[in-house]
Amino acid sequence: MQVTDAAVVAQVLAGDRDAFRVLVERHSRSLYHLVYRMTGSSADTEEIVQDTLLRAFKGLEKFELRSNFGTWIYRIATNRTLDFLKSKKMSDTQAYRIAEDPDPDDSREIQLAATAPGPDRMVISEQMKSRMAQALSLLTPAERVAFTMRHMEGRSIGEISKTLNLKTSAAKNSVFRAVHKLRQQLEPFASPAK
Amino acid sequence: MKHLSEEEIVLHYYGDADDEMKVRQHLAECSACRAEFDRLHSLLGRVAPVEVPEPGSFFEEKMWLNIRDRLPEKAVPAKPLWAAGKWALAGVMAMLLVGAFLAGRFWPGRSPQVVQVNTPAADPQRVVLVAVGDHLERSQMLLVEIMNASDKSVLDEGTQLQARDLLNTNRLYRVSAQQAGDPRIAHLLDQLGRVLAEVANAPSQVSDNDLRDIRARIQSDGLLFKVRVVGSEVNSRVRRLEQNSPAAAEQRL
Repeated sequence: MQVTDAAVVAQVLAGDRDAFRVLVERHSRSLYHLVYRMTGSSADTEEIVQDTLLRAFKGLEKFELRSNFGTWIYRIATNRTLDFLKSKKMSDTQAYRIAEDPDPDDSREIQLAATAPGPDRMVISEQMKSRMAQALSLLTPAERVAFTMRHMEGRSIGEISKTLNLKTSAAKNSVFRAVHKLRQQLEPFASPAK
Repeated sequence: MKHLSEEEIVLHYYGDADDEMKVRQHLAECSACRAEFDRLHSLLGRVAPVEVPEPGSFFEEKMWLNIRDRLPEKAVPAKPLWAAGKWALAGVMAMLLVGAFLAGRFWPGRSPQVVQVNTPAADPQRVVLVAVGDHLERSQMLLVEIMNASDKSVLDEGTQLQARDLLNTNRLYRVSAQQAGDPRIAHLLDQLGRVLAEVANAPSQVSDNDLRDIRARIQSDGLLFKVRVVGSEVNSRVRRLEQNSPAAAEQRL
């Protein structure tokens, strides 16, 4: 039977520093996915994941053993990413761009999903691509994180407000403002789905 | 009829409207708002989650190795020797190591009795094990880097120098392990040495094939896994020695 995260945390707190490796092995990959969706860069993501793990270790005494370790470290990662985005002004060229076939290495590409196969696929013009990049670069770090959590990660408003330490109304507003900006930029160029 | 606000429509798309029932009822009755909702639905439905490139099969390993030395010490009563710094420690250990091996009687397999010394730093058995553990860990980091690299540029001059350095110490440890009658470690170091030699002696202009060959060699014998397992065992032995040391016993009293 697999040892629970809480049991591993207790082991680490008892002095077995190497036991932390188990938690690293269990959670690094999902943290990578989360952070990458917000930064779009492999190098930045690895740095943030490492920083998250270090902070988690240092703050392990604050973790309540009855809580879910995955949720706890997810919050740390999200806030580290938010801090990172705030500190690093991402230029339009560094930000996201739309790609039919995203580059797997260090890309900042976002893909428009095919809602229907074949010819019904939305036609993405060069102009539309640049609009999407522009729209995403217009989001504030908080809007970008809230939008990613709600739209791409499917997290609830409650989780977003708790993670970002916002009131529910402020979390909703962040999501709304993000969508509003995206719509303003994209709607004139998006042909309706068939 | 008062139409829904854009915010109400957006929040309804995610199921987050303050009064979902009211929004639903309105949409059922108002074609203008329904059209607005459909437009939004169509647009957002096409913004798919960012495709995340998988970070490589050794990603977790890499994360651990990158943070391990940066983790603060916890629940350690006395400041150990190796807290003084990795490289300073390496130097001290190298000197102690030569002396220990020349004596040829300090390998743990040969002298299971606790060495009667006063401080953990002076325990040659522990020093030898720490040195071997450190060597395995540094080798592991190098192998992980090679396995995780996106292209052949990983085999640059710096990596080759590192491999040469590891190869030199590897030779010393392998011979010592053989003499000390520890065939498992000796065999592992033998395997490791062959890979290190390949990295160290790779041509200055490596090709994709060279990198593929080296990776295949690392993978073929499960070398990375073995290095990790034996390294972990060595570290456990070090911890046991520390716990059983006279200094630790004094502290417990």
